[in-house]
Amino acid sequence: MSDAQQVGGIDRRWVYLLVAVGALLPVLIPMGLPILTTPAVEALFQRVESFGPQDVLMLSFDYGPSSAPELDPMADAILRHCFTRGVRVVVLALFPLGGPNMAQGSLDRVTGEFSVEEGRDFVYLGYKDGAQAVMRRMAEDISAAFPRDHRGIPLKEIPLMQEVRGYPQIGVAVSLATGILGEYWANLVNAQFGQTVAVGATAVSAPKYYTYLKAGQMIGLLGGLKGAAEYEELLASAYPELRDRARVARRGMDVQSIVHLIIIVFILLGNVFYVLSRSERTRAGGRLGPR
Amino acid sequence: MKRQIPVLLAFLTGTFVVVAFFVSAPVVVGLNEKLDELLMIVTAFALPLGVVSFLQHHSKKIGRRSIGWRNSIVSVASFAVMASLGIVEPFVSAQGRAVGFNWLFDTVFTPLQATMFSLLAFMIASAAFRAFRVKNLEAAILMISAVIVMLGRVPIGKFVLPPSAALTEWIMNVPNLAAQRGILIGAALGAASMAIRIILGIERPYMGGAGE
Amino acid sequence: MDLVSAWVAAFLTLAIYSFLYKDNPLYRFAESLFVGLSLGYEIGIVLHRTIIPNLFQKLAADPGRNWYLVIGGVLGIMLYLRYVQRVSFLGRWALAVYMGYFVGVELMQRLHGDVLPQVKDTMLPLLPLSLASVQNLLVLVGVLSVLVYFYFSRPHTGILRPVSRLGIWFIMVCFGASFGYTVMARISLLVGRLTFLVDDWVRPTLAAILG
Repeated sequence: MSDAQQVGGIDRRWVYLLVAVGALLPVLIPMGLPILTTPAVEALFQRVESFGPQDVLMLSFDYGPSSAPELDPMADAILRHCFTRGVRVVVLALFPLGGPNMAQGSLDRVTGEFSVEEGRDFVYLGYKDGAQAVMRRMAEDISAAFPRDHRGIPLKEIPLMQEVRGYPQIGVAVSLATGILGEYWANLVNAQFGQTVAVGATAVSAPKYYTYLKAGQMIGLLGGLKGAAEYEELLASAYPELRDRARVARRGMDVQSIVHLIIIVFILLGNVFYVLSRSERTRAGGRLGPR
Repeated sequence: MKRQIPVLLAFLTGTFVVVAFFVSAPVVVGLNEKLDELLMIVTAFALPLGVVSFLQHHSKKIGRRSIGWRNSIVSVASFAVMASLGIVEPFVSAQGRAVGFNWLFDTVFTPLQATMFSLLAFMIASAAFRAFRVKNLEAAILMISAVIVMLGRVPIGKFVLPPSAALTEWIMNVPNLAAQRGILIGAALGAASMAIRIILGIERPYMGGAGE
Repeated sequence: MDLVSAWVAAFLTLAIYSFLYKDNPLYRFAESLFVGLSLGYEIGIVLHRTIIPNLFQKLAADPGRNWYLVIGGVLGIMLYLRYVQRVSFLGRWALAVYMGYFVGVELMQRLHGDVLPQVKDTMLPLLPLSLASVQNLLVLVGVLSVLVYFYFSRPHTGILRPVSRLGIWFIMVCFGASFGYTVMARISLLVGRLTFLVDDWVRPTLAAILG
């Protein structure tokens, strides 16, 4: 066993096994721990809550399967919220490696639950290359960037898109993003076109969005599975009939709890071993060193 | 001449985009919009550029029977199947719904990519053991911040360390924000100066690549 | 997901996880499959989502008005000439336009969308003294000290030394928080796979066996 495969003198595969068991138990036996909500998530929820059937939300799928466990629950919860309130939704995808399938998957999961009609209550524009070029071109004329929806129907023949020409008709644009695409919505779409923006980010990139949020370049931030769980919690509290459907992320937070504790224990153990080995070295140095 | 034209093209395109930001004359706005549309198309062509290198690399490996050549066959074959389905299916299927393409995506691609990224959950656990040794004040700050945030962002945190949620909110909105903002401003200035160097032809990344 | 598909997906999931025990041919197979599929995926997407609707269909619909789109198509094809030795210089022309456009966009995006609003939001009132003004002061001090830490044009001596040290402390808090969030992200992905294995594979399989 090489050094690299050892953690504190034990085979690191035991560490892996402990993480796997810690993660699997709450999946098998949900604990239902309570979710606390934060102002960054509440802000987006309240904005959608203030919308009605005359309003339009833009939902951009800027991620692929590698971020789906975090961002899919956000997408589903936001779509459910919009359809419950009668808010119309313009869906698009700007992430090349899986974005279009993520968008289609979420629409397939959610639209069946509501009596919504494609073209009237929501439209799926499909995917487009050239993220910044698309964001710039959509400002005044969405149909110049997306001449047809994902079914190949020209935008001018779609009732919803006859009302929505560009950003001025969009109440809020929500980007569910991995990597840098979410930043573009803040530092390009919001900064140059004044479009109200919110971002649902993977937890890895969530910390950097706080600075955009504070500067008013975004109105809301959903950070990782926790952000998704908060949105689900808010949705379930406001609309009890959705409680059973909006629970994917909340269930995941049980696993987060257990594995975070395991990792904190590892950090503490790592330090205990470090202190012990240092004091051992000091003692050995004391015996061997010159008097 | 062959070397000057690309420099001129990058200069003209970059400068036009910058000028168009400040000028609202209809002719400039119109040209700017046309440029956006052109670049969507160019980006679409640019995205699969790697395919040529990919095929060159793997065909060489297969031809020479180098180490891992069987895996190269798997890569090339899976590429060919996915690309063919992606090209052909939308033409022949109802409403452009590519059944085989989507099946491959959902059943093969999704589990592969999602699982590959989830491996990091295990790696990060063992890394935590080594990386957070409190050797000095900075390492202590790093560890304390990490532990508070890890507790503050999960439901069980309020039972283990009751103020962790409030502390996490404060960390994210004050010290984290300040550092992120400092890094963001520095990186933005760096990116902007690099952009100016490319527009002015001081840096010429477009001159590299095959054929050089 | 039907049971056969679930078995295929579960097999591939476990093939990747087998790497945790040790590197093995099954993992290598799954990895190679992934590489090929990711590249193949993009071909159909760019063709049917951008090239056909934004170039060919627009040209076919109104060639008189949309003639300029041909330039995009030509530039796109020129990108591939970099692989043809004799005319590889033409590939550089297309790449130069492509880069010129995006760095131009990036320049304004970064200065106008990042630097200005972020600097503006850092210059907030410090008086009258309140909790908010103390936080404003902390953010101001944090931003300045982090910028000093990343300022390498002068050696960090004299007054710069303690200020850059303070910058490191802010960065350490930020990196600690980022680590916490990264853990959360990676665990979420694990949750996703475990949920799939339990809900879409094990449970339906048991249900099928037990009737």
